[in-house]
Amino acid sequence: MIKRLCISLWKVLAGLQVTIVALALLMALVVLCTLAQTELGTLGAVNTYMRSFIVWRQIAGIPFELPLFPGGALVGLVLVVNLTAALINRFEFSTRKLGLWVVHAGLILLVAGEFCTGAFQVDTRMTIEEGQTVNFVESYHQMELAVTDLTDAAHPVAYGIPEPLLRKTAPVQVPGTPLTFTVKRFYPNAELVPRTPQDPPALATMGVGAGVKITEAPPATADNEVNATSALVEPVAGGHSYGTWLVSTILGAPQSFIYEGRTYGLSMQPRRYYLPYSVTLRKFSHDIYPGTDIPKNFSSLVHLSNPARGEERDVLIYMNQPLRYEGRTFYQASYGKSDTLSILQVVANPGWLVPYLSCTLITLGLLVHFGITLFNALKRRQTSREATL
Amino acid sequence: MKLVKLFSWLPGLLALAAVLATAVPPGPTLGFHMDPFGRTPVLEGGRIKPLDSVARNGLLMILSKQSFSFKGRTIGPDEWMLDVLFRPGVADEQPVFVINDPDVLGLMGLKQTSNRYFSFATLQPHLQEIQAQASAAQALEAVRRSRFQNAVLNLFQRILLYNQLENSVQLADSPGLFMELQTLRDPQAAQRHRNLAEAAHFRILPPLPGQSSDAWQNPGEALDAAGAGLIHPGLALLSAVGAAYAMDNPELFNAKLAEFQGLTANIRPGALRHANSEILFNRVQPFYLGMVIYVLALLVLFGSWLWRRDLLQPAAFSLLAAGALVHTVGLVSRILLQGRPPVTNLYSSAIFVGWAAVILGLILERMYRKGFGTAVAAAAGFGSLIIAHHLAMEGDTMEMMRAVLDSNFWLATHVVTITIGYSGTFLAGIIAIAYTLRKHIAPVLEPSTTRALVDMAYGIICFALLFSFVGTVLGGIWADQSWGRFWGWDPKENGALLIVLWNAIILHCRWGDYVREKGLMAMAIFGNIITSLSWFGVNMLGVGLHSYGFMDQAFWALAIFIATQLALIGLCLMPRLRTSGPSLSR
Repeated sequence: MIKRLCISLWKVLAGLQVTIVALALLMALVVLCTLAQTELGTLGAVNTYMRSFIVWRQIAGIPFELPLFPGGALVGLVLVVNLTAALINRFEFSTRKLGLWVVHAGLILLVAGEFCTGAFQVDTRMTIEEGQTVNFVESYHQMELAVTDLTDAAHPVAYGIPEPLLRKTAPVQVPGTPLTFTVKRFYPNAELVPRTPQDPPALATMGVGAGVKITEAPPATADNEVNATSALVEPVAGGHSYGTWLVSTILGAPQSFIYEGRTYGLSMQPRRYYLPYSVTLRKFSHDIYPGTDIPKNFSSLVHLSNPARGEERDVLIYMNQPLRYEGRTFYQASYGKSDTLSILQVVANPGWLVPYLSCTLITLGLLVHFGITLFNALKRRQTSREATL
Repeated sequence: MKLVKLFSWLPGLLALAAVLATAVPPGPTLGFHMDPFGRTPVLEGGRIKPLDSVARNGLLMILSKQSFSFKGRTIGPDEWMLDVLFRPGVADEQPVFVINDPDVLGLMGLKQTSNRYFSFATLQPHLQEIQAQASAAQALEAVRRSRFQNAVLNLFQRILLYNQLENSVQLADSPGLFMELQTLRDPQAAQRHRNLAEAAHFRILPPLPGQSSDAWQNPGEALDAAGAGLIHPGLALLSAVGAAYAMDNPELFNAKLAEFQGLTANIRPGALRHANSEILFNRVQPFYLGMVIYVLALLVLFGSWLWRRDLLQPAAFSLLAAGALVHTVGLVSRILLQGRPPVTNLYSSAIFVGWAAVILGLILERMYRKGFGTAVAAAAGFGSLIIAHHLAMEGDTMEMMRAVLDSNFWLATHVVTITIGYSGTFLAGIIAIAYTLRKHIAPVLEPSTTRALVDMAYGIICFALLFSFVGTVLGGIWADQSWGRFWGWDPKENGALLIVLWNAIILHCRWGDYVREKGLMAMAIFGNIITSLSWFGVNMLGVGLHSYGFMDQAFWALAIFIATQLALIGLCLMPRLRTSGPSLSR
């Protein structure tokens, strides 16, 4: 009985109906995701519809969110299971079906690659002015509390406490320093305004935060909005508290305190990842078509310096021509400061080759399969024509 | 038999002869050599083009037509341009501003009548009000503007363009360039030169020997340099050309124009050669003529179902072939003129979608010889060229490619393949429409023709799946090369994915035997909706990296198209309406 149930379940799972329904659901999701982009921004829509297992949406009149639709991740998973089952179950191994085999194996690889990208890809950027040398990249979305030892002004030493640790209330010991931080409150997004006498007492007791009123704000969703991530933190060193400080990405004023003769600066900044090599911007160029302001090309001539590998060379990064180096890819993304500042997008994606591979497979498979179909159809026509003659 | 064959090719040959006849340069107008004037190369929008192209695009944007009637004569683009440049008083009286929006007319105290064309002189008293309304509209995001705001902003932009054109060679309110040359060192001259330099829409003075090939100048810039001692030899000639036209002296105009042309030919022969090729392309208007020939092919084919099928069906095919030839020559000319692969913007994608569908239809017709290949190819060619015709109103169709798109490799691979994918999906849809109409209208349903139509649709869907998939993937690879992600769920990418998914669904339904011929055809018609949405619909969302053409006027056209397709799907699934006539059941 159970065996029969399992067999029929397996048959359904491997069946074409599941494929068709899943493909149709995927189409619906793609439409919904596209439409939602006007409201939620690209990232928000993709996270809601594509990278989720269930799409939760609020409906007017009901106080809680409802599971409205299977999410892209679930549909993708079903498709992969369905495909794998079908491959095992239904496809006989024959030259006639060779093309289909290759197509579907390629599809599994493609979906698996997308999962891998979703899980492992790290998007960062490098902002660099002409003549400046930079040896780190910054996260787009994650922030960090930067504790910088400014004692030697020429060679500041930076320590970062990444956002996930700031979200916890447990004290964080900053490695390499005698400092411990307690995060009193973390604001993913906040509005900061100068405090007026009518306001309740400031939450921060030290630094510029003492004159600021903080209101929590909903996280930014639109593509061109940026979170003003803020936190109230209390540095403790040698058993002594240094008061509560407000740090925020939109606070420009430097804040620091002194412990045992060493000066420590505090700031909230995009999370940094340090590289074992450095990049110097020699020249940024913004070419336009003559007599217009239509951009023709953006390019950054950079110098790459990697002492560990003895590499010292110039690289030109321009549109459609990124630099791939040590697992990271540097793209020309933006510019500023009247064309003296270049912003490179830096992507680390261990699975970047997977789509190339899977797409080659699928294309070859489709060519083989449709080629065989066309060949057979032509042969059939030929024979039927001969038969009628 | 031989004679019949010859006769069937005659319509196609006649059509080609008619096309060739349009390539002959027109003679002088009222004694003025307009054609050589149109050949003058200028730098505008980042590329060298004949003044004729500037004139045509200008008229298309302002008037939505390439010629108009004024005082009992038809004024072509070159003559209009001459009036705008050198007889601004005359040009201001010409009715070149088309205004359809009743609220915009109301703003100027005008009633909506059958006359939709107004002169600049009519608009002039209301310029301040138009500008105020337009700046209010400009401050809003494109999606938040009302219909009136879009219309008034559009009118303001056209007035701006008209104003720039009027001030491209000499200041519109001045006696002419000769006066500027006489008063080079006047105290106010420098300011006038700067005004002229800033207002000019194009640069007409070629770079002198030794200067960079990009260093084209407008008269304002040249006058500025002349004040400093370096007088461009073209300035004096241009001022004489203008003065001769203003004084209505054709002989002097023709002589001075020839001298100016000689100067350009001397120092920038390449620019003149390019202008000469492009003006030929402009004059022939291959896509417009192709559209006309496709309509003829379609009409002849419809005729063939009523009378002398043996004669008219080949005749329709010959017209289709002639249309395809003209279409192909136009496409190749664009590629050569622009130095780019065929698809560079929405306009050229329409041209190419139609072209690929026509070629596929030609092949299908040669394979099946049922006449349906001709019908769907002619319909696809006509439909896409008429879309292109409307898209051409947006300005120069050979605009320069913005930085990230400036890659002939990806334009040639990703863009061409994905566009062929669109063509295939549309063609399958059109075959399905032909199937639907035939099912209800044809007196007799011959099973072999039905099977041929189903085979055609099925084969084309396979073809479309292959190309749309490969095109989508190549797009992903391009995105990976330029933005650092293979897939970003950008609306245009999603649109392409929808086509792939839909074609895959159709094929899986067919393979699983969930649909038979009727279902397959209905699904193929739905493919038209998906493709039109991903081709044009995503541009209307106004989000994402690909939203290169926000078009609200097209919204209703798209909505109507979708409604007709839904109706056709319904018709396709309905049982045969026509019951009279002999049935062929055996």
